[in-house]
Amino acid sequence: MSVKAFVRAKAVLWLHTIRLWRFRWSFLNWILSDAAWIFLFVLGALLFVPREQLSMAVKGAFWTIVAWSVISNFSSLIGSWMNFFISIGMVEEHLVRGFSPFKALLGRLITGSSITIASLLFMAMLVGGAFHVDLLSADRTWLLVLGLGLLAVEGISYGFTVAAISMRTSVPNNLLEILNLGIIGLLMVPVQAIPRSARLAYLCIPYVAPLHLMKVATSSALPMLLEKAVLISALEATAMFFVALFVMRFVEVWIKRNGVKAIGFW
Amino acid sequence: MGLKTLLKSGILLDLYFFKNNRSASISRLIWPYLTLGLIMGMGILFGNTQSFRQNVQAPVNPLTYFVASTLAAMVSLDVMWGVGGSVLFHRWIGTLPYILLSPNRTSITLVLTYVPRYLLSAGIQLAEFTPLILMVEGVTGGTVKLCIIALALTIGMLPLLGFSALFASFLLSIKEETNVLGWLNPLILLFSGAFYPAYLLPRWARLISIVLPSTYTIELARLSAIIGSPVSRRITLLIGVLAAMSVIYNSASGLVIQIGERKAMKEGAI
Repeated sequence: MSVKAFVRAKAVLWLHTIRLWRFRWSFLNWILSDAAWIFLFVLGALLFVPREQLSMAVKGAFWTIVAWSVISNFSSLIGSWMNFFISIGMVEEHLVRGFSPFKALLGRLITGSSITIASLLFMAMLVGGAFHVDLLSADRTWLLVLGLGLLAVEGISYGFTVAAISMRTSVPNNLLEILNLGIIGLLMVPVQAIPRSARLAYLCIPYVAPLHLMKVATSSALPMLLEKAVLISALEATAMFFVALFVMRFVEVWIKRNGVKAIGFW
Repeated sequence: MGLKTLLKSGILLDLYFFKNNRSASISRLIWPYLTLGLIMGMGILFGNTQSFRQNVQAPVNPLTYFVASTLAAMVSLDVMWGVGGSVLFHRWIGTLPYILLSPNRTSITLVLTYVPRYLLSAGIQLAEFTPLILMVEGVTGGTVKLCIIALALTIGMLPLLGFSALFASFLLSIKEETNVLGWLNPLILLFSGAFYPAYLLPRWARLISIVLPSTYTIELARLSAIIGSPVSRRITLLIGVLAAMSVIYNSASGLVIQIGERKAMKEGAI
């Protein structure tokens, strides 16, 4: 890494870390509200569960919602930050200095990951404490880490793709939230509830396969189609990563020719 | 500026909001169904309706139960954001000084400009769920249950207005830009028994739920979910509690908001 690149990477890291510290109350607010909303929904859903199956159901519901939290946090914290970045005129500033605005956006991973991890731990404490279930214990820790890692790659790639799109055209924020909530509907369905012939197709839906790995790792789903789920997750994560990379490059070239549309999220 | 003008400005503001923010309007329509779908979907996938009745300890229809819960929770949230959160919104866009300096009292301005929006959004959400309730409960039963929900949404609004005005006063007096309501609102809903009945919460949480007006609004709306005819004595009792809370919270907010207003003007926390 050259000295110039190192200085720039340091500047991006410094920018986002100091922002995280300055907005610490908002950060805490985000974590608390995330956890409270999730707890509210989980409690409602668990009313349907027979007492003897409660611990397995709590785990399944918890990890489903963690997955949604990862997808939703990365799309909103990375994607919608572009709106702020465009509106303060920073995209052009970065472009004229030969630094991709998307590289500056990479620092949002600090914010996104911090909020997601802190919410996850807080939620585990809250939900686990209420139902006396150890939500963070896993029979296969490596599988849980792998599933969560691949899900995070998919979520981050989605966030960057959305951010890039918002430079060319407007992205309705409300509808994006609805889409994220719609995804949770898909994620809730256990693989064993799908007809045998359609299970593989179901796993191919983005985010489903890595979540299945997480559920299997925490014994909240039956260990079926495991190898296929690993393969699908890895392929999907790679594909989504390259799509994000391609869209960012394409948009960067486009805005250098045509300028930023400056609409972003609305 | 008379009270009629305030009401009129509230109505016009909302009509133009719906007209000019189409995606926000669409999402407002979709959101209650998504909430309902999420909870019902998760519940049915992880359990069954028999266990639901056992856990709730009452002979209720789960769908009507969650429609009533969703509606009461959504409108309670709407009031808390609409009145309490509006202070923060006005502060952000720079209109708070004008509201504080206007001839009407701040609490009156906040409440009166909000009431039309509440009635409009509660009406729209109730209308959205009407076909579903009529389908599940039949025309006669469904109409009775819709009337109970409408009653809960109307009577329940009154103490909630005062309760939210207390938040407005709190937000006026603190020099804080962070949206504390963001995490307070779901907690209030949680303690009010929004989706999980308050009587199943731990004892310490039940003590908090007793003083929250939204607890009684949600409970009254949820009486519609009881299979068969709802007990009229229970309805009357809850209406009585909500009426008493309206008097207490609205009187308290009238006093407290003035203190908050004076403090904000003195310290320049606007």
